[in-house]
Amino acid sequence: MAEKPFFVGYLSVPPGLRAFLAVSALCLVALFAFVGWTVATTQADPMPGGFSGRQTLTGVLSVDPYPWVHVTTGSDAIPAGRPVLLSAPGKSGVAPRAAGLDGQVVEISGGGLRRGDLDLVQVRGGARGLSPVEGASAPALRHQDLGRWRLTGEICDGKCYAGAMSPGTGLAHRACANLCLIGGVPPVFVSTKPVDGEAFLLLANADGLAVTEQLLDHVALRVELEGRIERRGNLLVFRAAPETLRVLP
Amino acid sequence: MSVKYVPVQWNTNKWIYDAVVILAAGLFLWLFIAVAPGFLDHERPITPLMNRARAFGMCAFLMLTAILCIGPLARLDPRFLPLLYNRRHFGVLTSLVALAHAGLILDWYYGFTAPRIAKLEGVLIANQSYAQLLGFPFELFGLFALTVLLILAATSHDFWLKFLTPPVWKRLHFLIYAAYAAVVAHIALGALQDQTHPALAALTLVAATLVAGLHGWAAIRERAPARAGQTTDLMPIGPADTIADGRARVIALASGERVAVFRDKDAFSAISNACAHQNGPLGEGRIIDGCVTCPWHGFQYRVTDGCSPAPFTEKVPTYRLELRGKELFLDPRPNPPGTALDPVRLGQM
Ligand code: HEM
Ligand code: FES
Repeated sequence: MAEKPFFVGYLSVPPGLRAFLAVSALCLVALFAFVGWTVATTQADPMPGGFSGRQTLTGVLSVDPYPWVHVTTGSDAIPAGRPVLLSAPGKSGVAPRAAGLDGQVVEISGGGLRRGDLDLVQVRGGARGLSPVEGASAPALRHQDLGRWRLTGEICDGKCYAGAMSPGTGLAHRACANLCLIGGVPPVFVSTKPVDGEAFLLLANADGLAVTEQLLDHVALRVELEGRIERRGNLLVFRAAPETLRVLP
Repeated sequence: MSVKYVPVQWNTNKWIYDAVVILAAGLFLWLFIAVAPGFLDHERPITPLMNRARAFGMCAFLMLTAILCIGPLARLDPRFLPLLYNRRHFGVLTSLVALAHAGLILDWYYGFTAPRIAKLEGVLIANQSYAQLLGFPFELFGLFALTVLLILAATSHDFWLKFLTPPVWKRLHFLIYAAYAAVVAHIALGALQDQTHPALAALTLVAATLVAGLHGWAAIRERAPARAGQTTDLMPIGPADTIADGRARVIALASGERVAVFRDKDAFSAISNACAHQNGPLGEGRIIDGCVTCPWHGFQYRVTDGCSPAPFTEKVPTYRLELRGKELFLDPRPNPPGTALDPVRLGQM
C-alpha cells in the first residue's frame, strides 16, 4: 500500500497533501461566494412605500381609535381631504400628546411616509410637531356606516407598512412591528380585496377604541376578521371584533 | 501540548488556515453587501442595514455548516484531517460573524423604542406567540445559538479544556449541534416565511441534510467491529506482521474503549486510542521520533509508557500485549495512564 501523507499541524504540510488542500480551500471560497451571491440576489422585494418628505399640514384631529388627522389645508403631496395617521419618532405613538385635542383643528409637522393610499406623518417632538390652531372652527366629519364585513388580510403596524422600514411587513419583521404597536403606532388592516376602493383600514375594536393588546399574536399573519366598517371623512375604520379573528393556513 | 498557556500558538499552517477562512467569509460579505444590491430590480431598495444583517446571518450559518462538516469528512477521508487542526479559529470567527448579525438586528428591529425597552428585553417580550408555529418568536432560537457560540468560543482555549476536564469540555462542546439545529429552526420560522424565491429554502435544506448525512455516514462506517465478549481474558487481535511500521491497529473492547496497537520496527506496544487532548484517534496517528503523534493537533506520547515527552505532562493508559507465535494478544484491562511496559518483539521468542 502506498504510504499516505500524514499531516502534523506544526510541521510543514507534506507535499502529497498540498494539492488536495489547495483545491479544498478553493472549493470553500467558491462555495461561500456562490451562496452569498445566491441568497443576496434572491431576497424578496420589500415592496413600495417610503418617505414622502417633510409635511406641514392643518386638519381635524381624531383621538380614537388612534390619533389621525383629516387634512383641511394640505400640501402638494397630501391635499385637503386626505386622512393622515400620526406617530411620534421611533416606535411610539402620539396618543398622550393628542389627548384633549379630539375634534380640534391642529397643525402637524414632521416627516411623511406613504404607501399607496396610506399616509402617515411622524410628528416632531413638542409643540412644533403637534399643536392646536387657536380659534379655528372644525368642520364636522362625514360619518358613514358601510355595514358588517368579513375581511381577509394582514395586520401591520401603520408606520413600517408605510415604509419606515424596508421590508416593513412579514413574519421576519414581526417582533419589530409588535414593538411599534406596543409603543402606540396605529395598527392597520391590509385587506387582500379593496373595500369601497381602499386597500388599508385603521383597526379599532367593536366599540371604535384601541385594540392593540388583543392583536399582538396575529400580526403579520394571513387572517380573517369580522366587524363593522365606518367611513370617517375619507378614512376607513374597521371596528373588528377580536374574537372573530381566524388565522388562515 | 503546552505547559504554559498563551492566547494563540501561531504557526504557518494556522496563518494559512485563517487566511482562507477570512477570504471566504470576506468574499461572501462583500458580494452580499456591496455588489448584489445593484443587481436587485426592486422598486425600493432593501434597507442597507437589513441587507447587512442578513449577510452576516447567512455567512455565520454557512461557516457553522462548514465547521460541522469537517469532523465527519476527516473521519471518512483522512486527507481532510488538516482542516480539523485549526477548526477552533474557524469557530471563533463564526461566533464573531454571528454576533455582528445579532447586533445589527437588535439595533434595527429592536431599536428606536419609546418608552425605551432594552433591546435584549425586546427579544423576550415583543413576540410571545409561543403556542403557534407561524409567528413563533424565532429570534429566541437565534439567541440560544448565539449564546452557545459565544460560550464555546470563550472556552475554546486549551486552558478551559484542562480546567473543565476533557469529558466535561467535550460534552459542553456537543452543544454546537443543538445550536445548529436552533439556527435551522431560526431560519425556517423566520426569514424563510417571507421568501418568494426558493433559493434560501433549498440552500438551508441542503446544508442541514449535508451535516446530518455526513455524520450518519461516518457513524455507520465506524460502527465498532464485533466486540470480544470477555473483559478480562486475553483477546486475540491478529497476526503481528500485518501492522505496518509506525502505524497502529485499532481494537474495540467490550467496554467500548478503543486501544491502538502500534508497531515501532519489530516492537509492539498498546496505548489507549483516545488522545488526552480532545480524544483524537491516536490509532490513526503515526510514530514520529519514537512518539505516537495525534492526527488532530499533533500531541505526542511515548509508545512504551503513554507519556508525553518532557516538558509536556499528558498521559494516556497503556495495555499489556502478548505474542504467541506470530499472533498478538491484548489484555483488555487498562494500566493507569503513564504506566511503562516493555514492548513485545517479533522474533524475541
Ligand atoms: C440574538 C440573536 C439573534 C437574533 C435576535 C436574530 C434575529 C434575526 C432576524 C429578526 C432575522 C430576520 C431578518 C429578516 O430577514 O428580516 C434573522 C435572520 C437570520 N438569522 Fe438571525 N438572529 C440571531 C442570531 C442568529 C445566529 C446566531 C445565527 C447563525 C449562526 C443567525 C442566522 C440567521 C440567518 C441565516 C438568517 C436569514 C438571513 C436571510 O434573511 O437571508 N441568527 N435573524
Ligand atoms: S486531540 Fe488534539 S492532539 Fe490529539
